[in-house]
Amino acid sequence: MATQAQAAAPGGLKQHFSNWRLALVIAIVAIPGSVFLFPLETAFWVSFGAVILVTATVVTRAWGRRPGPLLVAPALATLLVMNIFPLLWSLGLSFFHFRANRLSPPRFAGLNYFEKVISDPNVWDRLQTTAIVVVLTVGIQLIVGFLLALMFEREFPGRRILLMLVLTPMMLSFVAVGAFFRYYYEPTFGLLSQAVRLVTGEPYILLASPEGAIAGIVFADAWMWSPFVMLLVLAGLVSVPKYLYEAAEIDRASWWRRFRTITLPYIRGLLLLALLFRTIEAFKLFDVVFLITEGGPGTSTETIAVYLYRVSFQYFKTAESSALAYILIFIVIVLTNLYLYFVQQREKEEEAPA
Amino acid sequence: MRRQIGRAGWGWTGFSAVVSFIYFFPVLWIVLTAFKAHTDALAIPPKWIFTPTLENFVSVFARAYIKGQTAVDTNFDVYFFNSIFIAGSSVLIALIIGTLAAYGFSRYPLKGNNTYLFIILTTRMLPPIVVIIPIFLMFRVSGLSGTYLGVILLYTAFNLPFTIWMMKSFFDELSPEVEDAARLDGSNGYRVFFRVCMPQVKAGLAATAVFGLILTWNEFLFALLLTGVETRTVPVAMAQTIGGDIGVRWGLLAAIETLFLIPVVVVVYVLQNHLLRGVTFGTIRR
Amino acid sequence: MSTIRLRKVTKRFGSLVAVNRADLDVEAGEVLCLLGPSGCGKTTTLRMIAGLEDATEGDILIAEQRVNHLRPSQRDIAMVFQFYALYPVLTVAENLAYPLHYERLAKEEIAKRVKRVAALLELESVLERTPGQLAEGEKQRAAVGRAIIRDPNCFLFDEPLSRLDIEQRQVMRGQIKELLSGLSKATVIVTHDQLEALTMADRIAVMRDGNIEQVASPHRIFTEPTNLFVAGFIGTPRMNLVEAALTETGEGHCRFELGGQRVRLPITRPGLSAGSRITFGVRPRACEFTSEPGDDTISGTVDLVEPMGAETLVHLLHGEQDLRVVVDRTIRLAVGEQAHLRFEPESVHLFDESGRRVEAAA
Repeated sequence: MATQAQAAAPGGLKQHFSNWRLALVIAIVAIPGSVFLFPLETAFWVSFGAVILVTATVVTRAWGRRPGPLLVAPALATLLVMNIFPLLWSLGLSFFHFRANRLSPPRFAGLNYFEKVISDPNVWDRLQTTAIVVVLTVGIQLIVGFLLALMFEREFPGRRILLMLVLTPMMLSFVAVGAFFRYYYEPTFGLLSQAVRLVTGEPYILLASPEGAIAGIVFADAWMWSPFVMLLVLAGLVSVPKYLYEAAEIDRASWWRRFRTITLPYIRGLLLLALLFRTIEAFKLFDVVFLITEGGPGTSTETIAVYLYRVSFQYFKTAESSALAYILIFIVIVLTNLYLYFVQQREKEEEAPA
Repeated sequence: MRRQIGRAGWGWTGFSAVVSFIYFFPVLWIVLTAFKAHTDALAIPPKWIFTPTLENFVSVFARAYIKGQTAVDTNFDVYFFNSIFIAGSSVLIALIIGTLAAYGFSRYPLKGNNTYLFIILTTRMLPPIVVIIPIFLMFRVSGLSGTYLGVILLYTAFNLPFTIWMMKSFFDELSPEVEDAARLDGSNGYRVFFRVCMPQVKAGLAATAVFGLILTWNEFLFALLLTGVETRTVPVAMAQTIGGDIGVRWGLLAAIETLFLIPVVVVVYVLQNHLLRGVTFGTIRR
Repeated sequence: MSTIRLRKVTKRFGSLVAVNRADLDVEAGEVLCLLGPSGCGKTTTLRMIAGLEDATEGDILIAEQRVNHLRPSQRDIAMVFQFYALYPVLTVAENLAYPLHYERLAKEEIAKRVKRVAALLELESVLERTPGQLAEGEKQRAAVGRAIIRDPNCFLFDEPLSRLDIEQRQVMRGQIKELLSGLSKATVIVTHDQLEALTMADRIAVMRDGNIEQVASPHRIFTEPTNLFVAGFIGTPRMNLVEAALTETGEGHCRFELGGQRVRLPITRPGLSAGSRITFGVRPRACEFTSEPGDDTISGTVDLVEPMGAETLVHLLHGEQDLRVVVDRTIRLAVGEQAHLRFEPESVHLFDESGRRVEAAA
């Protein structure tokens, strides 16, 4: 490693290629410049080239130096090109008048689209729908997951097999879950409708009413992800030292007192993590809605993700969708930050001696 | 005999079995539906006892079923190939560069290591629809849309954050003393990585690969917008089967899902100890 | 009456016998130490008394009542756990009050009792802290406090001092002994530390491989170990145990052959006849060096000298055997030197071929 670094040092050419600061300056000048000067396609390629240049110089710079940067360079380069650049590109687009299905060159729009999105009652309506779905599904997941965890906390014969059954829904694809709940909710031969008919004599169309449609989506999503909460809670329950329960037994503590003073403190942190993680995930809810209700009836189950899909890929209001996307990105970044903060908090507690 | 703390007997097994089977019922019904003839799948009242048929499984792979007088090509063999090929390649690539990066992040922290890791995780936590808007434009302009290369690249980027976080959590768990000892014995960096570290995280690598495969296989939105006729994956084809104007072939869908259920159930059983780490993208270990 | 009795109590884990037909009686006010190496079944025995494990066979009686079928909470016992088992989110005061909630006492009464116990154990200044903020010794006292705050049938201690440093142990040994002597309850203490057992116990039960080898007062355990295991286990440095032959039994004396040397000692063992193989045991502090060899001495070469402060431990190589002798630090011996050793006849222990102690009188 050291010999490589020495060999690289005198070579002026290498020094030149690894000048990533220069590349960055070029990129910063070239990208907005090309957007103003050229048609969109050309501008895109210029910008893409600039990003490749920055990536290449960063990788070159990492080469032959300490192993750290070298090891992470390929991964960072891939993410830079495939994730970060597109995201920045769309951030840029949100400041322009632009529709992906038109050829007219983008015109500068400033904060126009952000204002538009924020003042759009549709957006607020969809956010409200999303909030309702998130609160319901995460709430149910926490309760059901918690109860399942209490059931699986104990050791009993066949536990592993039964655990497998309960954990399976989580690993199924959204499409499969969506497709089959649609099958179960089907008005004529669906299981739900037929079960209701046994009682009322009438077929039951769950997805016809807004409340029913939301219930249908929440049920499918909560069914799929309650095992996730169960896994986390189970991890918390397992981490409780057994001798604490023994001491509580000898101290003749009631079930409730034992739960409150021993169990709950150990799973509180993980419950919070489960809550945050599931909130982030439920916030993205798209596939299940798309497959079960397609947002209907009307727009009553259109979550923000489905709405965004419609705005960007059905109405092709690209700039507007980019602005809306950035509002979502902001929310998710805040939640993710919070989540990781609590993850680290918990790791610190685990490391500290009891 | 009195119950011991934390231990339960067959009575609890019975109770749990009932609860578990109720929970598992939607999956079970799918499996049953997969073995039903089309008329049985739509029967009113639902049929518990029926003559099982492999018709649905045959139509998944035999490429065609008869609808009226015309043979309709299901094409699911192509979609299965696509799903496997795309998931396999992207997971493999992500595993290679992701493991290197995870090792780097774990052993040679950069300035701002946590910031990098945070940004990497965030790209995975963002709603796919947010990420897809610019990528869609990028693919259209660059002509990558609908090609294997484009889709594989995209899924590589999709798998990378997960792979990095997972593998980093495994590397973090190794005791650094073993590596230090190997270095003192004269092993260079490559030897330490390949001979000392990798054998210790073999199980972790396998778990990461399997989770990556499942996540990629299940992914829907990217595939919906960025795969073409040639590169369509199973979930997209399934969604389109539902949306089609001909009567939905529930039995066929059930057969497809049943085929994929087997590996999933096996994975859930075998990787039970790594499941928590897998579903939280490596952020929570225990 | 606060008593604990075990009657032929057996505990099996699968095919492993953890405790084998244990009989034990602990009277009110008595402190019994279960002593043995790790894995001997002493903790399992304690846990069976507490009800945390079920006995496979036999009867457990607390306060003369058979309690096998009772849950730990129904046995009215107090226990101090090895890792203290303090409730991590509760303060010391709340930890102390924890066992009292069952009795539905008035708030004032609980506060009064907590205050009294805290004063007894010098915990007043840390009452509002949580266990994580306590020093090791304070945690230990809090755990003891939680046990003595009630008026239970009996007390159980599982390795109560194992996590303390040497100095704290000495203090706590005294403190616990003092506390227990005022309570007149049957108490069982599990320990692997013989010093702890010898200082705190009224009686000691030495266990090995699930069997209780000997139950006796600390003094008797030390002076009359019932078999080779107890003899070797109790006392530091370890008792010297040498294979020997009894060559002659005479009036008021015996002759032995130890490692090729003959020695004549003024002791009698009516139970043994000449020619029998025995194990000859003598503690390192029960022998002394002499300047001249005699018919009651054996000779060897000084192999190693370990100063221990006030005393010196000398390893004497006698044939194949390594004999440990503790002498006053003023006696100086050089490695390689020839030395002659005389045994105190009244401190010589003889064990027959099966390892059982042979008594002086029939």
